[in-house]
Amino acid sequence: MKKSNVAMLIVFLALIPLTLFWGDKLPGKGYYITGVLIIAELSIPFFMMFERRKPQARELVVLAIMCALAVIGRVVIPIPHFKAAFAIIMLTGIAFGPESGFIVGAITAFASNFFYGQGAYMPWQMMAYGAGGMLAGFVFIKNKIPRKPWIMAIFGFLANVFWIGPLLDTSHIFIMMPEISFATITASLASGFPVNVSQGICTALMMFIFGKPLLEKLDRVKQKYGMLEDENGI
Amino acid sequence: MKQDAFSKLHPAVNLLFFIGAVCFGVLLQHPIYLLAGIFASGVYYFSLNGRKAIKTILLMIPLFIFITLFNPIVNTRGVTVLFTYLDRPYTLEALVYGIAVAATFVLMILWLGCYGKVLTGDKFICLFGNLAPSLSLLLVMVFRMIPSLLQKAKQIIGVRSSIGKGIEEKSSIKNKLNSGMTVIGVLTSWALEGSITTSDSMRSRGYGTAKRTSFMVYKMTKTDWLFGVVMLILLGIVIFFAANGGMNAEFLPERNITPIKGINTIGFIVYLGYLLIPTILNIKEVIQWNISKSKI
Repeated sequence: MKKSNVAMLIVFLALIPLTLFWGDKLPGKGYYITGVLIIAELSIPFFMMFERRKPQARELVVLAIMCALAVIGRVVIPIPHFKAAFAIIMLTGIAFGPESGFIVGAITAFASNFFYGQGAYMPWQMMAYGAGGMLAGFVFIKNKIPRKPWIMAIFGFLANVFWIGPLLDTSHIFIMMPEISFATITASLASGFPVNVSQGICTALMMFIFGKPLLEKLDRVKQKYGMLEDENGI
Repeated sequence: MKQDAFSKLHPAVNLLFFIGAVCFGVLLQHPIYLLAGIFASGVYYFSLNGRKAIKTILLMIPLFIFITLFNPIVNTRGVTVLFTYLDRPYTLEALVYGIAVAATFVLMILWLGCYGKVLTGDKFICLFGNLAPSLSLLLVMVFRMIPSLLQKAKQIIGVRSSIGKGIEEKSSIKNKLNSGMTVIGVLTSWALEGSITTSDSMRSRGYGTAKRTSFMVYKMTKTDWLFGVVMLILLGIVIFFAANGGMNAEFLPERNITPIKGINTIGFIVYLGYLLIPTILNIKEVIQWNISKSKI
C-alpha cells in the first residue's frame, strides 16, 4: 500500500475520531480548536501525496505563478469586491488536475493570509479554496465535459454558491457563533448566501472571458515542455 | 521601525506562545480571564502596530456589539427573560453569554494580528521547511512572486495607459473588466515564459538531485530554551487550575461563575503573567535602552 493511502486510513479511522472524542470534552469555545485540528488532519494526506511525488522544478514554478496570480488578482482588476482568485484556482484545477487544483487553492489561501494579514478563518479558507480547485479538476477530468467558456462559467457560478461559499461560511459557525446548532448553522449559511452569489457572478464572468485564453496558455506550456505528465520530464 | 524584543526569540518559542495564548483564549470563558486576554493582546497589538492599532481596535467595537446582541436571537435558553418578540424570549443570560462570545472573537483577532506580525513567512518556513520541502519551496516562490508580479502588472498597466488604453476611476465596469482581463492575460504569458527560464536554471543548478538543505538564520540559544521552558511550566500551572475547576464559568441556563479568590488567584496571576511575556520583554528592552543611553 502507498504511504499516502496508509496516512489517509490513519487520519480517517484514528485521528479524526480521536479529535472529535477529545474535542467534545473541551470547555468554552473548544470546538474552534477541534475544527482547526480536523481541517489540518484532513489536508495531511493531500500534502503527503504532493511531497511523495517529488514535483519537478517546472511544475513547482508554474504552480507558484498560479498561486501568485490568484493572490494579486484583486489588485489587477480595479473593481471593488471582484475576486479573481476562485476563477484562477478553478482554471488551474481544470488545466492540471484535481491534485494541483487543491495545492494551488490551499497555498493561495495560506499565502494571501501572510500578504493581507492573518485571520481566524485561515484554515477554512485553505480548505474551501483547495476543495474548489479539486472539484474543478474532478469535473473536467480527461476532457469528458467540454471546456467551453459558458460551461465553465455555469460551473464556476454553481461551485461558488453551493460548494466553496458554504464551506467558507462554516467558519462563521465556529468563530462567531455561540454554539453549534441548527439555528446558528442556517443563520451563517443564509447570511453568506448573497455574498456567495455575487462572488459566483464574478467567477462566472471571469471564467467566461478569461477561461479559454488562460487554458490555452497553460496547455501550450504543458505540451511544449511536457509538464505535469511524465516522471522524467522535469 | 522599533524592533520588537519578543520577535527576536526563536520562531518555535514564538509559535508556542501563540498556540498557548489562542487556545486558552478560546477555551476559558470566564469573564475576568477574557478581560485579561483582551488587555494583554491589545497592549501587545498596540506595541507592534503603533497608531494603526487604534483604528483596528475601534473597528472591533461594532462587531462586538453585533455579536453580543445577536446571540440571544439564536439562543433562547436562560432563566431571566428581558422581553419577548414573536413568541421568542430574549434572555439576560444569553446576552451575557453573547458578551463572552464576542470577547473571545475580539481576543482571537488581536492575537492572530500579533501572530501575523511576529511569525513572518521566513520564520514559518524555518519551522516547517524540513517537514515538507516541496511545499515550503512552493510557498517561498509564491512569496517572492507576489511582489514581482505586482511590479510587472504595474508596468503593463503603465504601458497600456501610455497608448491610450488606460482606465480611470470613472471608466465603466465593462471597460475596467476588459482591461483587467487583458492585463491578467499578458501577465500570465509573461510570468509563464519567465517560469521556463527559472526552472531551467533550477535544473542546471541540480534541483532534485539530492536532499534539499535549508539555510537557518535562527538558532535556539540559552535564552530561547529558558523562555520555552518557563512558558511550558506556566501553561502547565494554568492547565492544572483549569482542570480543577478554578476557571469555570457557565452562562446558560443560569449564570455560575467561579469567583477568583483564595488559591484560584494563583492561577489567574500565572495566566496573566504568561500572556504578558512579550509586553514584559518589550518594557525590559526599553528600560535597558534608556539606562545604557544615560550612561553615554
